[in-house]
Amino acid sequence: MEFDFTPVITYFPTLLQGLGVGLLVATVVAFMSIVGGLLVAVISIYVNKVVSWPLRFFIWLFMTTPLLLQLYFLYFGLGEWILIPAILVGILGLGFHYMAYNADIFIATIKSVSNGQYEASRSLGFGHARTIFYIIVPQAFIRSIPQLGNNMILMVKDTSVLSAIGVAELVYASQYAISVTFRPFEFFIVIAVMYYIVNIFMELGQAWLERKTAYRR
Amino acid sequence: MDFNLMVEITPLLIKAAWVTIDISARSLFFGFFVACGLVFLQSFRFAPIRWFARGYISVIRGTPYFVQLLLVFYGGPSIGLRLDPITCGVFVGAFNIGAYMSEAIRGSIESVNSGQTEAARSLGFGRAQTLVSIVLPQAAALMIRSVGILAIVVVKNSSLVSIISVVELTYEAQRLVGSTYKPLEIFTLSGLMYIIIVYAVMGIIELAYRRAMRYTTL
Repeated sequence: MEFDFTPVITYFPTLLQGLGVGLLVATVVAFMSIVGGLLVAVISIYVNKVVSWPLRFFIWLFMTTPLLLQLYFLYFGLGEWILIPAILVGILGLGFHYMAYNADIFIATIKSVSNGQYEASRSLGFGHARTIFYIIVPQAFIRSIPQLGNNMILMVKDTSVLSAIGVAELVYASQYAISVTFRPFEFFIVIAVMYYIVNIFMELGQAWLERKTAYRR
Repeated sequence: MDFNLMVEITPLLIKAAWVTIDISARSLFFGFFVACGLVFLQSFRFAPIRWFARGYISVIRGTPYFVQLLLVFYGGPSIGLRLDPITCGVFVGAFNIGAYMSEAIRGSIESVNSGQTEAARSLGFGRAQTLVSIVLPQAAALMIRSVGILAIVVVKNSSLVSIISVVELTYEAQRLVGSTYKPLEIFTLSGLMYIIIVYAVMGIIELAYRRAMRYTTL
């Protein structure tokens, strides 16, 4: 058991590239899952049952099955009709998965906004839609921040699973490097450290955001 | 949709689903002991032991489960740790979920009103006795809920073990897709099985929760 970290240094640019792809995917997915989750939540609360039930079903389905299976389903299932690049499938799969989780949070926080807020806003002359978007949703969003942060931290870690369908992110890059250098331990330790560093920054960011918005909650 | 195929492969998938249940149950079982150990270590007065437990939890929670699995399975042999896929899946799963579970257990213990501890201590109960006979019965209900959520996480995480070639539900589904080219049918069916497993777990949690609620004053 001798460790040799020189191959890791040689392939470090490859790893950094993988990390870059992973973070890019995570950024797109974060945006997609938060905006989409909010829309899904608002629609499933305020629009009639014909629209809201399929959405609730969508949330339920993505929350009860494993991410890997969903990715396989999208990748191989959609592959029957159209060929989509793996990275797009990865973004869609991870995006839908966390969209469902975020929507679940938003539904709870939107319902937690006091009904008096709605009534006050209506009596001041805001319409139904304006009340929802100007009064209810902003308050609900601020309340969702701690849990959203948790979800996003989980999501960044879950980008590693995308390597299973061939997205060239950090794990995939290291698997490539390992197949050339035969140094699995060194590479996996290094990428674990890289994920850990990213995670620390995200936790700091989450704490900062929570502090910044605490007075509004 | 090819329903004949779905009927045909159901027994195969059920067999694989048992492996999923088996791995998840064993991960949870050992994970619970890891979690209790971590909670215990965090109650030490000697600070380095507490730091060790905190550090372990932070590192495990800060890195992807998937990477931990790959590290132990493929990287393990170079430090003399050779595990067969199932053992590796069970133990990495246990050590992973143990870190999360210790936080859940600690949280539910801390949520019991501190007045309960003070009252018990002033009545002459010792530290350990207070924990076992006063605090834990009251924390149990909350603990069952928060540990139960992690049980569902374990079931869903177990699909990742397919990457290190354990023949569980996801692996079997993928293998069948490889030989039949019917991804929609097969992945739908295996998804359905995950849903059934998750619902069974949720049912058990709910029953245990109702039982534990009898002892709580929250």
